[in-house]
Amino acid sequence: MDKEEIRKRLKDVESLPTLPPIVSKLNEMVADEDTTATKLGKIIEKDQVLTSKLLRMVNSSFFGFPQRISTVSNAIVLLGFNVIKTLIVTSSIFEVMQASDVGLFEHSLGCATAAGIIAKRLQIKNPEEVSTAGLIHDLGKIVLRSELPEEYEEIVKITNEKGLYIREVEHQRLGIGHGEIGGMLARQWNLPERLVIPIEYHHKPGSSPDFKDITAIIHFSDILIRALGFGNSGDPWVPSLDHKAWELIKFKKSDVKEIISELDEKLVELQDFTLEIKKDA
Amino acid sequence: MQRIPIKLAKPGFILAKEAITPEGQVLCGADTELTEDLILRLKKQGVLVLTVKGHPVRLPGELPLSEKLRELDRRFSKVKKDPVLKALETLIGEFWIEQEKGEGYLKRLKSQKS
Ligand SMILES: [Fe+2]
Ligand SMILES: [Fe+2]
Repeated sequence: MDKEEIRKRLKDVESLPTLPPIVSKLNEMVADEDTTATKLGKIIEKDQVLTSKLLRMVNSSFFGFPQRISTVSNAIVLLGFNVIKTLIVTSSIFEVMQASDVGLFEHSLGCATAAGIIAKRLQIKNPEEVSTAGLIHDLGKIVLRSELPEEYEEIVKITNEKGLYIREVEHQRLGIGHGEIGGMLARQWNLPERLVIPIEYHHKPGSSPDFKDITAIIHFSDILIRALGFGNSGDPWVPSLDHKAWELIKFKKSDVKEIISELDEKLVELQDFTLEIKKDA
Repeated sequence: MQRIPIKLAKPGFILAKEAITPEGQVLCGADTELTEDLILRLKKQGVLVLTVKGHPVRLPGELPLSEKLRELDRRFSKVKKDPVLKALETLIGEFWIEQEKGEGYLKRLKSQKS
């Protein structure tokens, strides 16, 4: 199989849960200048299931908002529409992931948490967007699992047998990695480039054409969360660090120490959150 | 010192840090001994995590320290040559050691040696 064929296969991802119809409606509304957060919130709140899922996500510890967010329009004001839209678009994907790959789900939540902590420290504008990018950075892996199940199984098998990075085996077998695949899909769904590019380049942040700071943060958060052994992302190895990206964030030892400590605390809270989700599932 | 989800708290544990709600409200101070009642009350107020003295709970899936450190080393085995990642590995290891043995443990150990 080559890149083009995969591209075609992903063009109409059928077995993946379809995008909630509400998304196109929301896109239209956002294009309209008169739309307010309250109006958008009202539309979303008509769907109670979606609303409760959404509120649970925005109140979970990886965004780390001090006060409880109780309405969708508040969530839009506080987190921005990009974040809310991304959470809606990916909500069904996350359901699939919770059911089929808890390890990857935990890895994603952990990466989101780390990314948020680091983004705040670096005073990046709208750190919640960076958390969200962390949340969906391995989107490509979920797509591979559901769209090309046989190939994916083979990839996992080879990865384990030979003790390789899963990413290496993806490239060997498919000629494309999960970063690129995730980026493709995210773009197809019209997610903002600020999120698409970090997904696409999280394993080669040095080549990222834009949003280099966010991409570097996701790259390092992925390393950090794997280093801590939280969750499971397909192989147990800490990935190599791109030093070009590291130059952009370059924390002192004392900073990293504080980040680890802050992250550790949040990860405990996160376990609570995942336990709660498992109980509901 | 250990941070635990409040679900795993038991009477008799002693707080190492104040109990705080996610909104940042302090409900009771360090050195408080937990009771059945107190745990219930803290839960009701929305407290999710407590920091307690010692290491009273082995969290689900948690390994003993020595094994944790061995696993850490294994995870880094492909990137041993990178000085930044080497430093990261050391920091994480030290963080876990201090978490289990108490803050300042490594410093005390060093001063004993010299
Ligand atoms: Fe990845
Ligand atoms: Fe990852």
